[in-house]
Amino acid sequence: MRREEGVRALLARVTNEPIIANLGPATADLFAAGDRDANLYSFGGMGLVSSIGLGVALAAPDRRVYVTDGDGSLLMNLGSLATIAAMRPVNLVLIVWDNHQWAETGGQPTHTAWGTDLAGIARAAGIPRVAAVSTIEAFEESLDAAAHEDGPWCIVASIEEHGRAPRPRVNIEENLLRFRRTFGT
Amino acid sequence: MHWADAIIDGLRAHEAWTVPYVPDAAGWQVVGKLVDDPAFTTVAATREEEAVGIAAGVYAAGKRAAVFMQSSGFGNTVNALAQLCIVNRIAVPLFIGMRGGLGEFNAAQIPPAQAVPRILDALSIPHYAPEREEDVAGVVDGALRLCYAGRAPVAVLLYSTLVGAKSEA
Repeated sequence: MRREEGVRALLARVTNEPIIANLGPATADLFAAGDRDANLYSFGGMGLVSSIGLGVALAAPDRRVYVTDGDGSLLMNLGSLATIAAMRPVNLVLIVWDNHQWAETGGQPTHTAWGTDLAGIARAAGIPRVAAVSTIEAFEESLDAAAHEDGPWCIVASIEEHGRAPRPRVNIEENLLRFRRTFGT
Repeated sequence: MHWADAIIDGLRAHEAWTVPYVPDAAGWQVVGKLVDDPAFTTVAATREEEAVGIAAGVYAAGKRAAVFMQSSGFGNTVNALAQLCIVNRIAVPLFIGMRGGLGEFNAAQIPPAQAVPRILDALSIPHYAPEREEDVAGVVDGALRLCYAGRAPVAVLLYSTLVGAKSEA
């Protein structure tokens, strides 16, 4: 499957649910497929979106909270999986677009290219609902389950990298304020 | 009032109900009292930048958090503070248990602690260090006000002169 297919599938299933996107391809493709108030984009802070998503999930327990991370970024913050497992926010859905490379810096292979199994790490960390998918059909099936069944979820989507949408022109401060307003703040 | 209780009162008054932390002896005098308090959600993080990221998420969702960590691990937060909190204007109060000062027995604690104020200065993050117990309430209240008004990180440094030096065991 391709990342942009996955992004479209996710957008088709949300209304006001927050989506927190990793820097680079995750942010660019989300912006291109459907800019919306409840999207929080990233332009720095690599590795932190799973932690940000945990914070959002704890602060807004009445909403499903989606995070779209990358393999390189999650590998920077593997401890986050253990913390998510310990806190067990049932409303958190961590999606990993695993393209097996650092796409933003020239496509250098990440450790998943050499066999590291992020879904296996998530399971071993204690995340109760983990799915490893590589087709859009399987991804959509996991998303549908994650929308209704208690998590926390970690869905690792192995994707073929075909490049990303152009870098979005976003006012970073305004993006944060717009995102906050979706929570009535 | 004990300095730790003064900090807790400040967190309550400013509704900073989520407390991500990496434990240290000083901060735990505060966080340890919050673990079983139903008003607070404490979150044990595996590293300091993770704690900052969680606090940033809480703020992004319209609520407030306060991070507790030790000086030895503060350096781990530089990317999270610079590229996430400062750029996005995310208000995250930092409570840093300062080792490496009066009474320090562990040489490894000294260089990172001495770097903390200079790193904060380099990031233009205001920092305050109450020296006497009676100053804590005012400093914490002022720091939290500043943090939320400025929508940016602010640090409160807890030195051994206030919290006592950790004893060598």
